Parts: sequence; structure tokens; C-alpha cells
Amino acid sequence: MSTSNTKFATVEVVRKALKDVGYIATTQIAHTLYLAYHLEKPVLVEGPAGVGKTELAKAAAAFMGVPLIRLQCYEGLDESKALYEWKYGKQLLYTQLLKDKLDSVIEGETNLAESIEKLHQYDDIFFSPQFLEPRPLLKALQQKDGAVLLVDEVDKSDDEFEAFLLEILSDFQVSIPEIGTIEATSKPFVFLTSNSTRELGEALRRRCLHLYISFPEQGLEREIVMTRVPGISERLTRQLVSFIHQVRKLDIKKLPSVSETIDWAKTLVILHAETLDKEMVRETLNTFLKAQEDIRVTEEKLYTLTEHALREAT
Amino acid sequence: MDRTLQNFITALRRSGVRISVAETMDALRAAELSGYGDRWMLKDFLSASLAKSMPEKEIFEVCFSRFFSLDYITGEDFLFENENLPPILQGEAPLTQIFISGDVGGLAMALRAAGERADIRSIQSWTQKGLFMQRLFQELGLEGLNRDIRRLAEVGGQDALNQAKALESMRDNLMERVRTLVERQLELYAARRSYELSEGYIKNARLSALDERDLARIHKIIQRMVKHLKDRYSRRPRAARRGNLDFRKTFRKSITYGGLPFDTHWKSKKIDRPEIVVICDVSRSVSNIVRFFLLILYSLNEVISRIRSFVFCTNLVEVSPLFEMHPLHEALAMLRSGAGIPILLGRTDYGGSFLDFKDQYSDCLTKRATVIILGDARNNYSEPHTEALRFISERCKRLIWLNPETPSLWGSGDSEMKKYLPYCNIARECSTLRHLERVVEYLLRVHDR
Repeated sequence: MSTSNTKFATVEVVRKALKDVGYIATTQIAHTLYLAYHLEKPVLVEGPAGVGKTELAKAAAAFMGVPLIRLQCYEGLDESKALYEWKYGKQLLYTQLLKDKLDSVIEGETNLAESIEKLHQYDDIFFSPQFLEPRPLLKALQQKDGAVLLVDEVDKSDDEFEAFLLEILSDFQVSIPEIGTIEATSKPFVFLTSNSTRELGEALRRRCLHLYISFPEQGLEREIVMTRVPGISERLTRQLVSFIHQVRKLDIKKLPSVSETIDWAKTLVILHAETLDKEMVRETLNTFLKAQEDIRVTEEKLYTLTEHALREAT
Repeated sequence: MDRTLQNFITALRRSGVRISVAETMDALRAAELSGYGDRWMLKDFLSASLAKSMPEKEIFEVCFSRFFSLDYITGEDFLFENENLPPILQGEAPLTQIFISGDVGGLAMALRAAGERADIRSIQSWTQKGLFMQRLFQELGLEGLNRDIRRLAEVGGQDALNQAKALESMRDNLMERVRTLVERQLELYAARRSYELSEGYIKNARLSALDERDLARIHKIIQRMVKHLKDRYSRRPRAARRGNLDFRKTFRKSITYGGLPFDTHWKSKKIDRPEIVVICDVSRSVSNIVRFFLLILYSLNEVISRIRSFVFCTNLVEVSPLFEMHPLHEALAMLRSGAGIPILLGRTDYGGSFLDFKDQYSDCLTKRATVIILGDARNNYSEPHTEALRFISERCKRLIWLNPETPSLWGSGDSEMKKYLPYCNIARECSTLRHLERVVEYLLRVHDR
């Protein structure tokens, strides 16, 4: 993380840098990122689905100019998938290939004890870094110039895995019995995201800084749409953002996310829409509503919603 | 350490945000980074390092605005009557001097210093409001000001009277400010001071004596307790589940490696999760405890394989379907109101209820089942039917009796506890959350082998 010190000089610099890579951040997000960098702490990001939690990590990696290493969590994820694994196949293959060599090594020894004694001089060979398959967590620690480590949807993993994460998050080191302790060459910038399907443990929360991202306000969302969808008119942006915000107030199962707003905006641009009209909205509802039930609920109120959006945007 | 921050963290803790020492250190470094100049930056920094969940964020918002608005209480909106009053008296009290010269900053400092000296942060309840206001007035030197006003009146003359009037109105204004200050401090430091007491206190308080309004807090504590128990008893590392070497499987696999047992296979141990039968007295004397006990048991459904629950008063009925069909809290509420349960709430009849159980539900008595009876064994002098309890006891793995009364009262009056005792593997007093926790832990631990 040391290389990018100038990139974290002030909060404003962070915010601008994020904007340059296409991520419009609220002051709160910029503040938390700035703080996390200076305290060298992981950031736990919570919020509804689709507000750009994962996107934030990607943007951070992009502007820091370091690789993004992503660990997607799921039930049953364990050390061998997250940290490291021995390349069993390679080990076996090498023992087969080196059979002759082994013979020559123990050549001349007549009794078993002496042969084993000789073999002992070589026994670390097969458990050396060459036979180690690093998984995301180890990879992140090994990056010379630092990295952004994204532990995505940590709430989907089991309690055990959460406990295991604690060691890495607090010390940035892991111990491999055969090799020893591996310390981070430069501490990675860690993001954890959660959708709260499961209540995370207190211990994990304590080790992280906490950031809650909610749906952006209209002004901010407009800015996001304008940056991400080049060629869209300001008027249309106003209308569609207003429409989306009304939909979010409806009683539907899955609220449209920011990324879906962008998708919709892109669709409308392709359709050469100048302004929202009911028919076009009806036909493109499925770009941001993914459940049949939600579409039905919204269609019923389509008229008032569109009218309101048009009025609000002028 | 930074005093302001320390005070703020105290206020947060008292409002129910759990903050560890490590987090305090983080907040300290965060505050150093931001300084106190930029309010929003400070707020975001502290929020990120102290409030770690949505509910905590909400509390944080409230606390932050309350706490850091205190600094502005004597700010520009404090009205001085006149910009400058001509000095009339000699040797005025310090407060009078501040008023006469219109020194806003001086007043703010005086108020703050007086607050420190009066130790206003130790305020704990509404009843102390008057006391702390008095202390503050004393520390501010209100007496001196009053004396000066009287002296001005004695001097007489238009100027002096005008000045006395002005000073009086400023004094009233100040008193109003002091009252607000004390109230704010009270909100900040004492509003939920009880929260500090809560865990230790509530866990050891007799459940039957707890207030209805403590319920929400009890539920919170129970939730945490359950999480704790779950963590401890559901987290079984794979290694612990590993049993003996599965020789046949290993041998078969070894063919691939030319007869070397390279890939070993292990038998896995079966995990024995407890099967529980709860029989609860729901008469008034124990209803609270029953409720919390069931709440804990049913919340632990991941680590308990099966629960069957029965309630009785004059007769005995099974209520397990209630818990299967409705969400936990609804089921408990239904149980409490007795809606839809064919139970007679007359005289409590232990003997009769045990007979009911023996006749109708003896199928749930297996060698794996632990039977837990919750009740005070006060049988209203009717036949105890110990043979029915004996029947139950002989057919289950274990029989545990939880009695809300202290052991010294067992067997007194109409209590048949002494007669039932020989058939119980364990009989314990159970009147507080702590007791409940211990019982549940015991249940899980015994089965953890």
C-alpha cells in the first residue's frame, strides 16, 4: 500500500481518483476509504444488493493501480479453496519421474536406516513453494506491490471460515505447517462485502471498519448514470432516475439496483429515446425488474409513475 | 487520551453500542487523522470505526448529533441584551463582567469549566436534574451576579436600573441554557444507562419479577445467548467428527497407488443431537419462565434434533404443532393468550397431567429423549400420582425437573417436589436467565460427545 501514498493524500484526492475510474462516491465512501488506507484496516461493506459494493473494490483496485484478487464466498468454502493447496498431482508425478534418481541417491547404502537417513536430506523438496498452489488469500499476501483483496459475500460462508479469516485480517500472515509463516510483502487493501443473509460475528466486525452503502440520492444517481452511459441527455437521466426512485418506494420483492438503472439507461439510449413514454417504459420494464410479480405491480401504476417522473424532471 | 473522544465513547457505550478497546484505539487514530475541524469527516471516520452494524449506526447518528451539538450550546445564538454596557459598579462578580462586556467566548468557557467542576457527566437520573443545575449555578457564580443586580438596584438612577434589568434578563436566559445543558447531558449519559446494568442484572433477576417493558431487552439478551450457544455447539471441526480408520475403503483405494495406503479414508462419527420433550406448567407462577425457556429451545433448533412440547394446568395438551405452523414469536404469543389451545386453566393438577401424558403421549418416550419438566410442583393438595412420573422416568434417557422456587421451599405447603424428586435424574432451581442458560448448556454439552 506504500506505493500509492500520494493517491491517499486527502479525501478530495481519493474522491477524484475514484471518479476518474468511473466510480461516483459519496463523501462517506471517500472518507471511509481514506481512513481504511491510513489505519491499514479491512473495510466491511454492507448494503442492499446492487448498490455497488463489489464495484467499489474494483474501482479502488483500478485507481491504486494494483491487481484485484477476488474470493467469492459460498457455503462450504474451506482453507484449501481459499488459502492454499498442495499440488498432489505434481508431487506424485515427480516422485514417479525421479524414481531412478532416488535409486542413485540411496546407492551404496546397505541397510534401511542409512537409506532413510540419506533420504531425510531431501525430504523438504516435495513440500516447497514449487508444489504450492496459492489460492486467493495467499495470492493477495504474496503480491509485491500490494493488492486489493475482495472477500465477496462473506455472509454466505460458514462460521468456521469466518473465524479463520480473523487471523489473516488482523495479522496479514498465514502459517503453512510445512513451510512456515508467510507474511504479507505489502499489506493488501481488504474489502469484505455482506448482504446480511446471516448475522456476522462480533469478532469479525470489530476487526473491520464498517461502511453502509444505501441507494444513492437522486442527484448522485444521476451523476452515476451520466458517467456510465455516455451520450444520454440530461433530461432523460432526470426522468429515469426519478422513475426508478419511485419504483424503489413500491412494495416489490427485489428493488432495482444502481447497476440496473444503468442497464435501463443504456437500453433507452440504444432505442433513441428522447423522453420517457409509457409504452417504452412498459416494454423495457424487464431490464430493471426481474420478477414477474414485481413487473405486474409496477405496470398497474405505470401511468402515475411516468407522469410523476415527467413532472418532477421539468 | 483525548478527553472529548473518551466521553463520546462512554456515551455510545451507555446507549448500547458495544465498543472494544481495539476499536477505541482505531477511533483515536481516526480522530487524529481528521481533527475536530471538519465535522462531517469526523463523523464518517468515527462511524466507520465505532458503529459496526445498522442498528449501531442509528444509535451513533443520534449520539453524535447530541454530543457534538453541546459545543454549540453557548455559541452565537446566545443573546446578549446590549453590545456594551457602561460599567457602573466597582469590583463586579466575574459573571457580571462577562455579561457587561458581552464576551460570548468567555461565557462558553465559563460554562464548560463549571460543567467540568460540577462533574456533570456523572448524572444518572431525572431526579438529579435540580441538583446538578444548582451545582452548575454555584460553579458559575450566579450568586455574585444576583448580588450585583441587587447592588445596582440600591444605587438607583436610570442607567443603573436599566443595567439591572438587562442583567436580569440575561440571567434568565442563562438559566434556561443551563437547564437545556443539563437535560442534554442527561439524555446523553443517562438515558439508557440501564443498558449498562442490563446484561448482568437481568440475567440474574428473577424472571417472574421482571417487567413487561424489559421484554425487548430480554429477547436481545436471549438472542445473544443463543448465538453463543450455537457457535459453541454447532461448530464442530471436521477433525473432531473423524472416527477410526476405514480400513476396507483405504485398502481398496491403495490399489491405485500400487498397494501403498496413500489415500486414507476415515469413518465419521455420528453426532448425537439431543431429542427433547418439554412438559411445562403454564399457570401464572411459572408462565414467564416457560416462555423464555421455549424461546431459547426453539431458537436452538439447529443443534437440537427434535423438540416436543406439552403444556398443562388442569389438563395436558401438546403444543408442538403450534411451533411448527407459526413463527416462533407468534407461537409464543398464542401460548401466552391460550388462543386455540384446548387447555383448562383451573387448579393446577400435576398428578392428572402426568397421567394424561402417560396415557396419550408415551410414544415420545425413547431412549434418546431427555424429558424436562418445568413447574413448581404445587399440586393444590390433590393426588400426586408419582407412579406416572416413575413410568416416564423409566422410559427416557434422562428426566430433568426445573423448579422456579428455591430448594428450601421444595416440599413446603402443597409442594409435592419432595415426592417427585426420587424420579428425577436432576432437579434444579430455575428462576433466572442465568439458570436457563446453564440448563441449556448442560443439555447440549452432555450430548456433545
